[in-house]
Amino acid sequence: MSAIAIGRLLRTGTSGFVIGCRVNQLDSPSFGSLVRVPLEPDYQVFGIIYDIHIEDDGLVRQLITAEDVPEEVLRDNRENRNVPVEIAVLALGYQQGEQIFHLLPPRPPLSLDAIYLSSPEEMIAFTSAGRFGYFRHILRDPSKPVDELLAAHLMTARTIHESAGNKSWYPEALQELIALLRDDYQRLMNVLRAAGEIG
Amino acid sequence: MENFSEEQTGKIGYIVGGGLKANLQARLSVPAQTVQEGAFVVIESGGWLFYGLVTDLQLGSTDPRFADEQTGTRLPHQLAEMLHGQTLFTNLEILTALMMERGPEPGTDEYNVWYQKVLDETIRPEPVKTVPQHHAEVRLARAGDIAEIFGREGKGAFFRIGDTLEGGHPVCVDLDKLVQRSAGIFGATGTGKSFLTRVILSGLIHRGKTSVLIFDMHNEYGPDDTASDTGLRVPGLKNKFRAKVRMVGLGRGATIRGEQPDYTLEIAESDITPEDVMMLSQALNLRETTPTTLEALRVNFGYDNWFHEFKHMKVNAYLYDEEGKRYPDPDSVAAWAEGAGVHPGAAEALHSKLRRLFNAPYIVEEPAANALQQMIDNLDNGQHIVLSFGKHENDLDYLFVSNLLTRRIRDVWEHRTNNFRSGHQGAKEPRPLVIVVEEAHKLLNREMASQTTFSTIAREMRKYYVTLLIIDQRPSQIYDEVMSQLGTRVTGWLGDSDDIHAVLTGLAGREALRGMLARLQPKEEVLMLGWGVPMPIVIRSRRYNEAFWEELLEKQTPKDNAAILDELGY
Repeated sequence: MSAIAIGRLLRTGTSGFVIGCRVNQLDSPSFGSLVRVPLEPDYQVFGIIYDIHIEDDGLVRQLITAEDVPEEVLRDNRENRNVPVEIAVLALGYQQGEQIFHLLPPRPPLSLDAIYLSSPEEMIAFTSAGRFGYFRHILRDPSKPVDELLAAHLMTARTIHESAGNKSWYPEALQELIALLRDDYQRLMNVLRAAGEIG
Repeated sequence: MENFSEEQTGKIGYIVGGGLKANLQARLSVPAQTVQEGAFVVIESGGWLFYGLVTDLQLGSTDPRFADEQTGTRLPHQLAEMLHGQTLFTNLEILTALMMERGPEPGTDEYNVWYQKVLDETIRPEPVKTVPQHHAEVRLARAGDIAEIFGREGKGAFFRIGDTLEGGHPVCVDLDKLVQRSAGIFGATGTGKSFLTRVILSGLIHRGKTSVLIFDMHNEYGPDDTASDTGLRVPGLKNKFRAKVRMVGLGRGATIRGEQPDYTLEIAESDITPEDVMMLSQALNLRETTPTTLEALRVNFGYDNWFHEFKHMKVNAYLYDEEGKRYPDPDSVAAWAEGAGVHPGAAEALHSKLRRLFNAPYIVEEPAANALQQMIDNLDNGQHIVLSFGKHENDLDYLFVSNLLTRRIRDVWEHRTNNFRSGHQGAKEPRPLVIVVEEAHKLLNREMASQTTFSTIAREMRKYYVTLLIIDQRPSQIYDEVMSQLGTRVTGWLGDSDDIHAVLTGLAGREALRGMLARLQPKEEVLMLGWGVPMPIVIRSRRYNEAFWEELLEKQTPKDNAAILDELGY
């Protein structure tokens, strides 16, 4: 299993963290991807990407206003710029030894810790553990694009589970979401409409 | 898969609320159409089984907007189905009536002790005194549950009166208990009262522990009949129980639907008392002066002769003296009235109004035979009487004859009971008697109830071994006090709210049963309730057809307790 490192931690906390990476590292991580931060041999933190954004800097502003900038200059500024791409991750749980917990990690990762995309096996293990307890972390903060995030996560996870022969994961996940949100009509309908886009 | 396993276990939902005073609420976990109002359900909670009746089904939603908006058109089918499964639901309202200990785990010593108690019938269902736990499983009753509560067909006095709506499990009534207090069969016209009455009467006659006297006003129980709706032949009781049923016609030469009765009944003039006439106050529109006149007649001529003497008095008969002055004929009503100190006008008016009785062909001075005694003998010997009114099926004849006979027969039974209870030598216990009264509101309405023997019988229950089986389409017209004394009530569809109220008088949970009564399927479904049944239940009444007779007259071997428990799954 070859782990794909996608960057290092910029800012961190128990409920989430922000990764910095270069633009040429941006091919792998995507909105809704499950990531992990190994901290010790038997302890790693899991999270989900909920935001990817690129800050501007003075040079970029100058280039945008300049005329007839050569293509190689543009590429050089894009790939070798000093300001990293920032990827925001929501903490969903952690693994202690063999056991996976859908609880906030007891200790946050540290700055510059490397972060990796979860493999399909890791994703199956994490999303199958317990009974979708990690959904509550996603649903907790209404300022985040919860409906879109869930739809992206469901689409990815469903494909992986169904490839592994488990067709019941997706309906069970939906049932759990409905149970969690049935007292909040608007949010539930938003989530379901987003899920409806998956087909 | 979930539904499949629920079908297998019979689980239909789980308890979500309610209480002992209010009904229990259960969340339905199967499609609403699987359960109907009136369904008999069992709630399993801890070591107890609770037995109840579904009295209402209510649609609900976790948020009203899930119900208001047709999300099915806005979401993919699978998603919409999942959403509806969790946000839209049906709640059952359950009227619990009985509870019974479920017993310890089989195979343990405690189980063996408990099992022996069940075999000895020391453990029986008891009135509900507590509530099941939250989320306790609710399931439809199985045949074993029904048998445990209502008894098993063929065992003792248990007689199948119909089947449950769901599952079609047999529901029995204890015939011996049914006749311990007066009972009633109600339902609007055309709801199958007569057929249900035939079924119950057939059961009583077949059981053979009770004698039955039927006042057959419309000549429908004794002889064969033709159903008014299907045109099919309906066997009469006489046809099926030739040796046990005596068909009696009213008046000499009476025929019943062209058939000769076993014998005819004539009433001797000497048998008629002033009280019998007073009961006809409404039918004959008697005046307030009538009691005075009747009392004078009784004092003058005695109980045995007053009717005969009064009948033969002349009306408007006058003679003239030597001076040409008019005076009443000594044989006239007026002359008697003057002599007795009664107003002649009142006496003549009474005479005029009693003319319908004077002219009744079944009232004679000297009956050819003592048919009344013969009827009493028949009833004593375990036979049953169907008194058909033949062509005399108007209210006056019915009120007069049924009242008079009932009074006489009850007097005999009262006398015998007193002899039996006081230990007279040779006095044997009177045979229980059920008097079947059609159009009961004519005899037991508010105005008449205080005077008739019928209300006395209804009130005193089985003190003198005589009870009533009243059949009526307007129970609201029957006096409340009589209605409240009825032990068992079996009722078909009723539309009038007063009638529904009357049938449910004095019963617990009547609010819940009220709606159910108004929605019974005419001719098929009846609600059985009251003291004589362990708990209210809606049943599909037994069909009165050839199959019924084959089943009834076939000899059946009752199963023992062990077999019943086996069916219950113990």
